[in-house]
Amino acid sequence: MPEREGTYGLLAEFDTPSQLVRAAENAYAAGYRRMDCYTPYPVEEAAEAIGFHKNEVSLVCLIGGMLGVTAMFSLETWISVWSYPLNIAGRPYFSWPAFVVPAYEWTILFAGLSAAFGMLALNGLPQVYHPLFNAPNFRNGATSDKFFLCVEANDPKFEPAETRSFLEGFAPVSVVEVEY
Amino acid sequence: MANGYHAKTLPKDLNAPAFVDVWRTRALTVGVVFLVIAIILGFLSGDAWNHFLRAWLHGYMMCFNFCFGAMVLLMVQYLSGGKWGLIIRRPLEAMTRTWPLVLLLFLPVGIFGASFGKLYIWAKYADWAKALKNGLITNEQAHAIHFKHGILNVTSFWVYSLLTFAILALYVTLLNKWSLKRDADPEPNVPYWRTKFENLSGFGTLLYAILLFGVAIYWVMSLDPTWYSTVYGFQFLVAEGYGVLALSILTLIGLSRAEPMKTMFRGTEQHDMGKLCFAFTMLNMYLAFASFLIIWSGNSPEEIPWYLDRIRGNWGVIATLDVIFHWLIPFTLLLSSGLKRIKKRLAVVCCIMIFARAWDLWWLIEPNFPDARRNLHFSVGMLEYATLPVALVAFWLAYFFTQLKQRPLIATNDPHLVELLEPEHAHA
Repeated sequence: MPEREGTYGLLAEFDTPSQLVRAAENAYAAGYRRMDCYTPYPVEEAAEAIGFHKNEVSLVCLIGGMLGVTAMFSLETWISVWSYPLNIAGRPYFSWPAFVVPAYEWTILFAGLSAAFGMLALNGLPQVYHPLFNAPNFRNGATSDKFFLCVEANDPKFEPAETRSFLEGFAPVSVVEVEY
Repeated sequence: MANGYHAKTLPKDLNAPAFVDVWRTRALTVGVVFLVIAIILGFLSGDAWNHFLRAWLHGYMMCFNFCFGAMVLLMVQYLSGGKWGLIIRRPLEAMTRTWPLVLLLFLPVGIFGASFGKLYIWAKYADWAKALKNGLITNEQAHAIHFKHGILNVTSFWVYSLLTFAILALYVTLLNKWSLKRDADPEPNVPYWRTKFENLSGFGTLLYAILLFGVAIYWVMSLDPTWYSTVYGFQFLVAEGYGVLALSILTLIGLSRAEPMKTMFRGTEQHDMGKLCFAFTMLNMYLAFASFLIIWSGNSPEEIPWYLDRIRGNWGVIATLDVIFHWLIPFTLLLSSGLKRIKKRLAVVCCIMIFARAWDLWWLIEPNFPDARRNLHFSVGMLEYATLPVALVAFWLAYFFTQLKQRPLIATNDPHLVELLEPEHAHA
């Protein structure tokens, strides 16, 4: 794969989440699609503003949970009914009330692990390199107190000068060009 | 926020909208119609008003659940803080102020159920030796009535019940009185009031749990004096949270059609309360199943008959449906985060939850009686469960709506108020 060069995108820095949301909503309305918001904590409205309505983590989590409950319940049934049947105080071999607790534990375990790892995978993590870290203000502020909107250069509507003046219209702290 | 984008202002009129009066009229109409049907059924059933009284106990427990469940949730939100607590504070206060009606509904249970011994066999056959000789009760029942006489007697029943009402009434009065005083006493004194409410609520929550454990045993569990379960009171406590949360959400969704709740009831708080409902759904099922699993595993003749009474003779169908209504449906629906933010769908889930609570109480109460034990069968009296509780809850709702109109719907002297008016993305 050839090394990518040139501009990754334009990064606008804001002091408050409200300003970020306003800029993101306007950019989306103006037709920009390839963009992303970067905030120190989850800002749901920012995600909604750039057209990010639904994520698949809940689906991954649900599938994980179903796998867990099916796996454990089948395992218990197989052990108790076919593999090693034991007469415990005259109860039927298929004593489902006793199976519920481990099956439930596995549901939680699988669902939890699927949610955690599914979230990382869907976020594209682990990722060893991201161009935005070339911007010093991003390195210093993105995880503490600054709110960023990055319009990426591969957006069809992206024009360096025009997009810059568009972003500057929302009174950002700065707009910087980020290289790959 | 320096930037005023999306910011809102506090509505001028914080009083309940006019349509609450319409709700009250409707509730009263439903109450009267169902009460008339229940009385007619009482004459038709020909069982000396026995089912009428059982259904009365059912409806009374539902109202007690709403009234004092609201009280404990009110105290819990003072302790936990959070914006969801501020938004439901006044509706919960209105629910607690219905306690005189709940006390009134208790009187028939106490007078006919205990004093005349129509509900509780330990009251009816206090002279257990004679009843045993005449074959009216079994050996086990006679032993239980004799052994538990120190607690299960009419005097203790009345003393404990009335003492509980007295203490709870004191708490309701203080919570309501101080809440108004707090609103009239702004800024520098906010921390003073917060501490005061925390102190009242911390001890109050504990005391309430103890009192409730007792009344759950007296009013419902002692219908079958041979059986006991240490988790019984706790199950009632959790079920109260379950029912009251559902009712609070329904109230807020209903009120949010007009100001002030239109502005104040945000998606975030609705979502938070949906999550709380989900937690209570899980906890409720956890306790119910744990109690069943432990008794099933022990398989001891002192404990298992209680479940057999409620499973054999077609009651198993009711028990299975109880699990479906109580847990499976709310659980699967509330799993979705999107649903918790859609008012109409969340309202449907809340209705199912309240219905499930009534279904569960029916399953707890009816199989205690010899004619229904291990024998689910149709009788005219059984229809009382579908009419009388509806009437009692409807009357209770009418009283609740009256109380809802007494005060502004939002408590204003709280730091959370400013946050409720901020845009939803302003806080993590």
